[in-house]
Amino acid sequence: MSETAVKIGGNKQSLFINEVKALLPDGGNLNLCLTCGACSSGCPATGLEGMDPRKFLRMAAMGLDDEITSTPWVWMCSMCTRCVYVCPMKINIPQLVFYTRQSWPREERPKGILGSCDMALRNDTCSAMGTTEEDFQFVVEDVLEEYREAQPEFTAMQAPVNKKGAHYFLNQNSREPVTEPDEMVPLWKIMHQGGADWTYGTKGWAAENYCMFLADDEKWEHIVRTKVKAVEDLGCNVWLNTE
Amino acid sequence: MEVSGEAGNFTIKIKQSPRYIDMDKCIACGLCAEKCPKKVDDEFNMEINKRKAAYIKYGQAVPLKYAIDGEQCIYLTRGKCRACEKFCPTGAINFDDKTQIMSLNVGAVIMAPGYKPFDPTPLDFYGNGQIADVVTSLEYERLLSASGPCMGHLKRPSNNREPKKIAWLQCVGSRSTNRCANSYCSSVCCMYAIKQALVTAEHLTGDGLQQTIFFMDIRTPGKEFEKYYVDAKEKGVRFVRARPHSIEAGRNGSGVRLQYTTESGAMVVEDFDMTILSVGLEIPPESKQLAEIFDIELDPFGFAKTDYFAPVRSNQPGVFVTGAFQSPKAIPRSVTEASSAAAEAANLLNQARGTLTREKTYPPEKDIAAEHPRIGVFVCSCGINIAGVVEVDAVAEYARSLPNVELVENNLFTCSADTQDLINKKIQEHQLNRIVIAACTPRTHEPLFQETLKEAGLNAYLVEMANIRNQNSWVHQKTPEKATEKAKNQVRMAVAKASLVVPLQSLSVAVTQKALVIGGGMAGMTAALTLADQSYETVLLEKAERLGGNAWQLNETGNGQPIRPMLEDLIKRVQSNQRIKVHTKAKLLSAMGSVGNFVSKIEVDGKTRAVNYGVAVLATGGKESQPEEYLYGQDPRVKTHLEFDAALRERSDEIAAAGSVVFIQCVGSREEHRLYCSRICCSHTMKSAIKLKELKPDMDVVVLYRDIRTYGKREDLYKQARELGVLFIRFDLQSKPQVHIKDDDLQLTAFDPILQRPVSITPDYLVLAAAVEPSTDQHLVELFKCGQNEEGFLNEAHPKLRPVDMSVDGLFVAGLCNFPKPIDESIAQAKAAAARAGVLLAREEMQLDAIKSYVTEKCDGCALCLDVCPYRAIKLEQYQQDNGTNHQRVKTDPALCKGCGLCAATCPKEGVHVHGFTLEQLKSQVHAAMAPLDSAVP
Repeated sequence: MSETAVKIGGNKQSLFINEVKALLPDGGNLNLCLTCGACSSGCPATGLEGMDPRKFLRMAAMGLDDEITSTPWVWMCSMCTRCVYVCPMKINIPQLVFYTRQSWPREERPKGILGSCDMALRNDTCSAMGTTEEDFQFVVEDVLEEYREAQPEFTAMQAPVNKKGAHYFLNQNSREPVTEPDEMVPLWKIMHQGGADWTYGTKGWAAENYCMFLADDEKWEHIVRTKVKAVEDLGCNVWLNTE
Repeated sequence: MEVSGEAGNFTIKIKQSPRYIDMDKCIACGLCAEKCPKKVDDEFNMEINKRKAAYIKYGQAVPLKYAIDGEQCIYLTRGKCRACEKFCPTGAINFDDKTQIMSLNVGAVIMAPGYKPFDPTPLDFYGNGQIADVVTSLEYERLLSASGPCMGHLKRPSNNREPKKIAWLQCVGSRSTNRCANSYCSSVCCMYAIKQALVTAEHLTGDGLQQTIFFMDIRTPGKEFEKYYVDAKEKGVRFVRARPHSIEAGRNGSGVRLQYTTESGAMVVEDFDMTILSVGLEIPPESKQLAEIFDIELDPFGFAKTDYFAPVRSNQPGVFVTGAFQSPKAIPRSVTEASSAAAEAANLLNQARGTLTREKTYPPEKDIAAEHPRIGVFVCSCGINIAGVVEVDAVAEYARSLPNVELVENNLFTCSADTQDLINKKIQEHQLNRIVIAACTPRTHEPLFQETLKEAGLNAYLVEMANIRNQNSWVHQKTPEKATEKAKNQVRMAVAKASLVVPLQSLSVAVTQKALVIGGGMAGMTAALTLADQSYETVLLEKAERLGGNAWQLNETGNGQPIRPMLEDLIKRVQSNQRIKVHTKAKLLSAMGSVGNFVSKIEVDGKTRAVNYGVAVLATGGKESQPEEYLYGQDPRVKTHLEFDAALRERSDEIAAAGSVVFIQCVGSREEHRLYCSRICCSHTMKSAIKLKELKPDMDVVVLYRDIRTYGKREDLYKQARELGVLFIRFDLQSKPQVHIKDDDLQLTAFDPILQRPVSITPDYLVLAAAVEPSTDQHLVELFKCGQNEEGFLNEAHPKLRPVDMSVDGLFVAGLCNFPKPIDESIAQAKAAAARAGVLLAREEMQLDAIKSYVTEKCDGCALCLDVCPYRAIKLEQYQQDNGTNHQRVKTDPALCKGCGLCAATCPKEGVHVHGFTLEQLKSQVHAAMAPLDSAVP
């Protein structure tokens, strides 16, 4: 942490925190902090980069805009909202973090998240791994066949793809079909045992949305719309997103 | 259930649930509860243990009468049992008792339904109800209490072992709007947590004990509260400024784990044996229903809404609200306000005062002066309370052998109504002229037997009690034979003294039904007006040229009401009141006499005159202290609150032009030379800061503070200030903000404990929250022999039990001279003082207790007793003997004497005695105690 004195005052009407407040219902309560530290006490990112939620909000309140908009800490927040859950003033720190992420030039945002978002935009599967429609369908059918043979009690198990009019449209984290295909099966078994009428779709099947974590609103919306369209095209009633 | 009518004439319909026990017959022996087979969760002990369906709520219940819980009783719910009825020795059980609907005609209503503790269940992250060793503060209070489920031997719920490390979490259900709607501060939790921590330390022994209090701000703004906090720190209670995120269960099925970040950001994981949730106060739905019935307005938090200038008045005329129902508050203010409400009711009903009073008459008192003692002894079995241990027959038999005893009776319950009739009858039949009751304690029962004697035509002081229950059967259960011997001894002692007791006459003095009020500020004027409204002539003294005091310098109340118009109105009402004589530029020169009859010389505008009065209210006020730091007095931009208020009032445009204003809190308060918290400065700063933000929203307003102490509903001001963007930076006493002048600018540096970085500001104004001091002059204190605390604030007789009485009877205290307080609290206290004063003034003459000291011929005026008398009831006087020589001796003032006996114990020459406890009487008891039981008393 830098030891330079914080200067309060002067003409700082365009404070970053005020811009964020204007975007949030009740201003996200961002002014109400009692500095009690309940947020920091439960934050998985406390201490990383010498930062924690209370300090972050405090710096915003003191107008240290340059520092808060440049700390990489904002990318270490997992958006878990444990902080808001216990905050006596219900201060929406995650939203402040989110808008701070947006203040970063897109190309300077963390490579992993940026790359995953861009990959998901490549085709309508929305997969951050870039998995195509054909590959996904092939893996699902292949794994299903294998299990039905190996486990006789699941001979009748289904893993439908593009089944029109199914009740549930199920999403799938796209890491699994690529790296750990077996990991898809437990969920299938649950759906089977529960007698659920469900389907995957070749379009919009990927559950994750890195564009949201990237704070790229436009692309985030694009991903969501693509998935919603996939659900609607198959005429499903319920969209089950496991992420 | 219903209310109709209006102030002065309400009709109120009340439903009373059946008790199933006849209150007149119940003697609280406890057999019904003992025999009752039905166990029920004990709500008084927070359901930690069980009570019976036949029960008393708690040991101190008044009246001490049992009840049957109709919803739990086996007979009432299933038609079989009636065990209590079989065992009740007085036939008090009445299963035919029915719900009563009654109608009351009253002139005024005082609502004091109290509060309920916040239920922390919705705050699931604290695990209340899930983790065994997480309890609420009220549950803990019961666990700690000698009358609680652990009998005072603290055990933690998970494994019944003594906890060592205990943590308190403050502000649970207070100062929060998340899963809880209580954005106010509950006012009492900091003090009760500190108290619990200190009491815990007293209860536990062994190594590794630690009490830790996790807090946001410690709020100890009451009189002597800050000292209590400092003392707790010195005694090792650990205070941690942190709020753990959540509570996890301990590793081995007991205890808890807390994870928290320190103020500087370090993460700490710490295990505790127990965690106490310091739960806040809130208004239960039943009270809200009650408010609906009376159609009284509640504030957004559910508390009764009142005006700053009429702190116990609801919006409905004739309906008054008090205690925690009005706002969260601790006992001293609740008791004070209760008296304020009584004052309001008394003023409303002034016309009717005394019209429903009935006086009890007694037969003429027999003259027994020439009679030889004829003693009647009544030995009580108290059900099995005494008889279960002490052989009462043997005691009675023994009593018959004692000198002067004419009659001995053994009663199942000597205190029961039929026994009183019996005693009366026996007095007549046997011409008894002294009575000995061998039963329980005179503390609770002596007045009853004195009454019985009066009804039988005997002087009330001819009864003696031997406490063979509390001091015998209850403590010697395991040695009944010795207990019986001891009881005989106790009875012999009582009989010995009874033979020597003589009738005593209680003194009565005429009351001067006039009041003196000293101090013409808000408190003094309110007290004077309240007394005048009760029809008492009142003299109001003010040392300044005009009435009003500090209020002239204030702008607004906490809720934004302008003070000036209200003040002017109050002054007008005081000045135009026929019963109030106002003296400005006045000074008290002397004060003589005692309660009911004081006389003073006063100087008004250079002229001296005398005033007679029965009571006095001291409301001599306080003042803002002069800061000695932060460039105060050296730079005009550095101002106190009152100076800044004046600037806001007179040149707000100039102030609004400022770019930045900084407030520094606790200037001269909470430091070694002035340890107390001045109570009002945090709220004052909030008001000013809010005003600045309203004048100019983009002004930088910064508050440098140690703890924010906007207690109670005033927390809303703090919240409002934060909402408007006021920045709050905490500092420690060790690292106070620094101010200097650079290039003609005020330069201020502080240290932000969260960022661990210095902060610099260039304020246009620096406002100092200067401490409040008493302005009482010492001469007045000497004249009235007032009690004062270390800092010179006038003391009340007892902070909880008698918060507006002073220790000198007939004197009352209100306003800033007692302790710093905001206007609403000053007004409430002034009304309370007037109510208490009114209790004395309502009587034309005052009965004093007969147990008083008196001087004998043996006094030689050595005056040793003067020093020990705590009531200053003894004076030295000169007199001339017949032979013309001058002598001195002491003189006691029965109006001031409380009969404590310190003088008699100190006197080396038997020169001063106390009626009812003469040396001769005490000696006879000692001889009786020392002599063998079967020998005659020497």
